[in-house]
Amino acid sequence: MTANGIPIGDVLLASGALFVIGLAGALLRRNAISIFLAIELMMNAANLAVLGYAAALHSLEGQIVVFFVIAIAAAEAAVGLAIFVALFRHTETIDVNQINLLKW
Amino acid sequence: MTPRLVFDVAAGLAILFACVMVVHRHPVKSVLALVVSFFALAVTYVLLAAPLIAAVQVIVYAGAILVLFLFVLMLLNVPEEVRQTPDRPIHQALSAGAIVAFAAALLASLRAYGATRAAPSAELPPGDLAPVARLLFSDHFLSFEALSILLLAALVGSFVLARREESP
Amino acid sequence: MSASDVGMLALRVLAPVLVILIVLPMLQWVERRGAGLIQDRPGPNRVGPFGLLQPLADVVKFFMKEDLIPSHADRFLYVLAPGLATFAALTTFAVIPYGATLNIRGNPVPLVGADVSIGILYLFAVTSLSVYGIVLAGWSSNNKFSLIGGIRSSAQIISYELAMTTAAAGVILAAGSFRLTDVVAMQSGSWLSLPYRGWTVVPQLLGFVVFFVSAFAETNRLPFDLPEAEAELVAGYHTEYSAMKFAMFYMAEYINVVVASALMVTLYFGGWSFPGFHPTSLGGVVLSVLIFAVKTAFFVWIFMWVRWTLPRFRYDQLMRLGWKALLPLALLNLFWVAGLVLWNAL
Repeated sequence: MTANGIPIGDVLLASGALFVIGLAGALLRRNAISIFLAIELMMNAANLAVLGYAAALHSLEGQIVVFFVIAIAAAEAAVGLAIFVALFRHTETIDVNQINLLKW
Repeated sequence: MTPRLVFDVAAGLAILFACVMVVHRHPVKSVLALVVSFFALAVTYVLLAAPLIAAVQVIVYAGAILVLFLFVLMLLNVPEEVRQTPDRPIHQALSAGAIVAFAAALLASLRAYGATRAAPSAELPPGDLAPVARLLFSDHFLSFEALSILLLAALVGSFVLARREESP
Repeated sequence: MSASDVGMLALRVLAPVLVILIVLPMLQWVERRGAGLIQDRPGPNRVGPFGLLQPLADVVKFFMKEDLIPSHADRFLYVLAPGLATFAALTTFAVIPYGATLNIRGNPVPLVGADVSIGILYLFAVTSLSVYGIVLAGWSSNNKFSLIGGIRSSAQIISYELAMTTAAAGVILAAGSFRLTDVVAMQSGSWLSLPYRGWTVVPQLLGFVVFFVSAFAETNRLPFDLPEAEAELVAGYHTEYSAMKFAMFYMAEYINVVVASALMVTLYFGGWSFPGFHPTSLGGVVLSVLIFAVKTAFFVWIFMWVRWTLPRFRYDQLMRLGWKALLPLALLNLFWVAGLVLWNAL
């Protein structure tokens, strides 16, 4: 099974690798913004897999799904960064290990 | 230069710079590595017959979201993460174990199912935008409108969150 | 793909880039002499007749100057930034059609670098990357003036990109295609027929005005050159740069001006087409390229004219204009065009 002459195995392997790297970043980093970046990377890994299958199945629905995921990621980034800015104003840090109080 | 070769090179670059993103301790450099990674991903999208998504990927991710990240990093002047002795050894060990276990499970399931599921159906002309647009504004029109409401909510929400409180 | 095809492709892609790089120093001469004209002074007139060799002297000067890297700068990004700015500026030209279709032994050769189906989207994608050059220059210099310049620029470019894209969406809607050759083809018909097939600027004057104003903000030119406002920020994001690295930012600015002008010509003024002119022969194709060049040169001159005529905006005024005036106007234009398309007037 191929997509445009690209074996679906290649696509899935790349997608899986990116997802694992994103997971590692999200679990191991301490800077909130870096964690956020790693989550964005995981979303993109999923997008790649969806597009790979969409191309292999000659379906357009996959592109629509990815389109929505990107739009939602944009909304998420806006709100997430606003939270970080607000957090930084209160605690002067965005190191997640030092943000350990429920109430300031 | 077969599409497969180009795809593999682009995907390899995406993975390489994703690693740089995770490993680099300076947040600004992390963002830049991710820009390169997303750019390489856009190339793979073109090869997977989705040029519209590739363009959206560059415009929205590289051109807007990551610029926003850079903007916030500069505004807050976030310092480089200092390497310190792990203050939560159990947490880190568990994380590392989880990552390895997840990678192994993923690889196993890829080997078992990955390349065999689903069968190809009718041909589609690669790179044509009109069918995608038609689908988006017919079958998925409601989702599209819901998405615009979500974006509006995000806009208002981020404004409220980031607003400086008025001094009492 | 034979060797001659590859050669033809290389020529198609490289020709406009080479022309721009050759014209670039001349633009600088035109700007300085134009400034002299507008401010009633001679301008540079010492090197060669009418100061024509001044650009050459400047190039030599840029090469000879000492290339400084501040000790507290982030070396890698500091060196990368100017290259990124120039690269992003140059790659935009790849999808703009600069002439009619050439016929070589029965094979049609469209005079455009790459006639891709996502032409306009590609343009916006690459222009949205141009912000990185400026932001990184500002950040890596480790200088507060540079940093403020970089932050201002990123906010400004993101804000105005919105209005610019929405304005261009009107043209895309009318053409029914992202392909820039289709956009030009749509504008090379009759001005009196219904649906209208003349230059887009007539039905979409509002969209053009929004696009025109946003183009100034996107290229960081006066009256919107807040990122490098010399009265408050020394030289903004390129305060620390010298010699060839500074020259590259300078080049990127002029290339962006040329690209913005070429884009305005393509989207709103019919590209290489001219009413009643349908090139078929080789001479006609050459003429079409000339028409495109003259139209673009006109807009480049307007860029310079405005620079020496209008004062600079204040930063909050700039943001207010972008969000509260241009964006609603661009949306209004989009509704207007959608109505026209609905009633078959476009």
